Amino acid sequence: MSIVAGCDVGSLTSKAVIMNGQKIIGSAIIRSKARPEESAMAAMDEALGSAAKAAAMDKPLAAAGTTLNQIAYSVGTGYGRDKIPFINETRSEIACHGKGARWMVPTVRTVIDIGGQDCKAIKLNDAGEVENFITNDKCASGTGRFLEVMADVLNVGIHELGEMSARARSPIMLASTCTVWAQADVIKYLNSGYLLEDIGAGINSAMAKRVAILANTIKVEKEICMTGGVAKNSGVVATLEKILGHRIRKIRRADPQLAGAIGAAVFAFEKLNGQQGEKI
Amino acid sequence: MFDSFYEATTTIFNQSIQAWKESGKKVVGYTCSYVPAEIFFAADILPVRIRGIETEGMDIGDAYFGPFICSFPKCILQLAGKGKYRFLDGAIITPGCDAMRRLDECWRKAGEDYQGIVPPFFYYFDVPHKTLPHGMKWFQEEIRYLIDFVQKHFGLSISDEALRKAIALYNQGRQMLRELEEIRTRADVPITGTEAFAVTVAGTVMPRDVYTEKLGRLLESLKTRPPVSAGKKRLMVIGSISDDIEIVELIEKNPNALVVAENLCFGVRYEGNLVAETGDPVMAMAESYLGECTCPRMFGKYPERLEILKEKIAAAAIDGVIMQNIRFCDLHGSEHGLLERDLEKAGIPCLKIEREYGPLTDTGRMQMRIQAFLERISK
Repeated sequence: MSIVAGCDVGSLTSKAVIMNGQKIIGSAIIRSKARPEESAMAAMDEALGSAAKAAAMDKPLAAAGTTLNQIAYSVGTGYGRDKIPFINETRSEIACHGKGARWMVPTVRTVIDIGGQDCKAIKLNDAGEVENFITNDKCASGTGRFLEVMADVLNVGIHELGEMSARARSPIMLASTCTVWAQADVIKYLNSGYLLEDIGAGINSAMAKRVAILANTIKVEKEICMTGGVAKNSGVVATLEKILGHRIRKIRRADPQLAGAIGAAVFAFEKLNGQQGEKI
Repeated sequence: MFDSFYEATTTIFNQSIQAWKESGKKVVGYTCSYVPAEIFFAADILPVRIRGIETEGMDIGDAYFGPFICSFPKCILQLAGKGKYRFLDGAIITPGCDAMRRLDECWRKAGEDYQGIVPPFFYYFDVPHKTLPHGMKWFQEEIRYLIDFVQKHFGLSISDEALRKAIALYNQGRQMLRELEEIRTRADVPITGTEAFAVTVAGTVMPRDVYTEKLGRLLESLKTRPPVSAGKKRLMVIGSISDDIEIVELIEKNPNALVVAENLCFGVRYEGNLVAETGDPVMAMAESYLGECTCPRMFGKYPERLEILKEKIAAAAIDGVIMQNIRFCDLHGSEHGLLERDLEKAGIPCLKIEREYGPLTDTGRMQMRIQAFLERISK
């Protein structure tokens, strides 16, 4: 079996995944650096390190190479894709998120990916190929950056925002589309003494509404799954389910934030094994 | 071969306009392909399309237009405010769309604050949205009024004979542009989309006789030029006004992409219909210019526009259509919603991109969408 890798250099985070056949043997999610080359190298180093650790604990995987030279083929994606030094080819994040989501949920037909400054809704056909997609063109208010800004204002970690929706009694309403003005609204609510969880729930709802507008444009079909870091926010997911009127399949096979990098690695695997060869 | 076309396309005050001015003759700018340029050529005045390239900021455009308006007329106003259009002896504003129509008032208002930026001949040329007989009658009157004003303002006379000669010359160019369009529909295409768009845009800012002569030589040279289309996806670009070759260039940066057709205002769309060379030239111009229906400003013509587009798509064996619209472009923004549904239903993949006009700021985001689209149609 050959080792393949996928590297997704995004605007906020960079991800790397190393795969051996159908198994992820190493992965990493790091904060993106100023230069995409640095981000890619740092993410890959960390992924290689995690592969080495996994190999040390799991004897059957000890054969897995843990140096860059032993990776037979790798694919890059994300904004910095053209600057990743060690890859063999690039693919768009649309294709990679579609491919990665398909690998995690084989029955998926609609992928909603929320990245750092991008929000995408991707429709896949029966074969798992991209049939149609739409991305946010107007502004970046329905993206991960929006949640980051809001979490900073509330002085909580971004991972803490999600569960606030479940605890909220009367979520606030955020009318402003602009992230900066929504931030001003949040500050106003804080100054007026509103509960943190009510504000957090309002933030999650505002986010979900923006994403729903995009998703509805391409008419979602089941199964639906969410990828990207925001998929880990249970508040956004729950509100989105309500608005779309569909359940969103929970991804358990891997961290949904890794979807783009996984998709890239799967493309690398397919390339190595020929288009007609084994499909993961 | 392409140098003079590129120079004309990428420079507002290009060499041929400079040469024209140096010979002591007048130049009039116009903002819309519904203005019969023959009128000016017949008067020995150089008609040039008013453009938005070379904009470096938006402080003047934003100050008079406000934020939620298409950036194309704002760029024009910005350039006017910066004095880039001082070489114009006249300008014609039309209701191509509401944003362009407001350019009239905004430019005049800016002229109160920036001395000398409003050309001495500043004319609002109305264009009906309907081609029904009463619309045609109105448009004929508009053309006659315009001719009258040009004659009075510049102290000259435009004879029917001069108009017919200008019409014949412009028709020659139209035929050549159609030939260029046809060459690009072939399996082996000898010209890139960027080159072809540069050639086409140049036609809006060069003296027509100079242009047709150059275009004739180009068409001749294409007969022996090796193809550039091997292994590439054949794309068509449609949508909002664009006089900037960078947008086509951006698409063709993808090694497997070739733009073989377009339907843009500064592109093949301005060639419109051939104008009758006999009979009343004003009536002939009215019928062919207003009868042109590929601009979404025209009311009730959507089915025809869709049909024309489908024909072009079939003729050029298009793999995918890229619909780009400038933010806040009502005409193309809403048209794309309709076209996407109808074309996708007909099995033609479409990509909708919303962008700002001006120096391409969203290249990273746009390139990702284009790459994803190419992946989609390369299966």
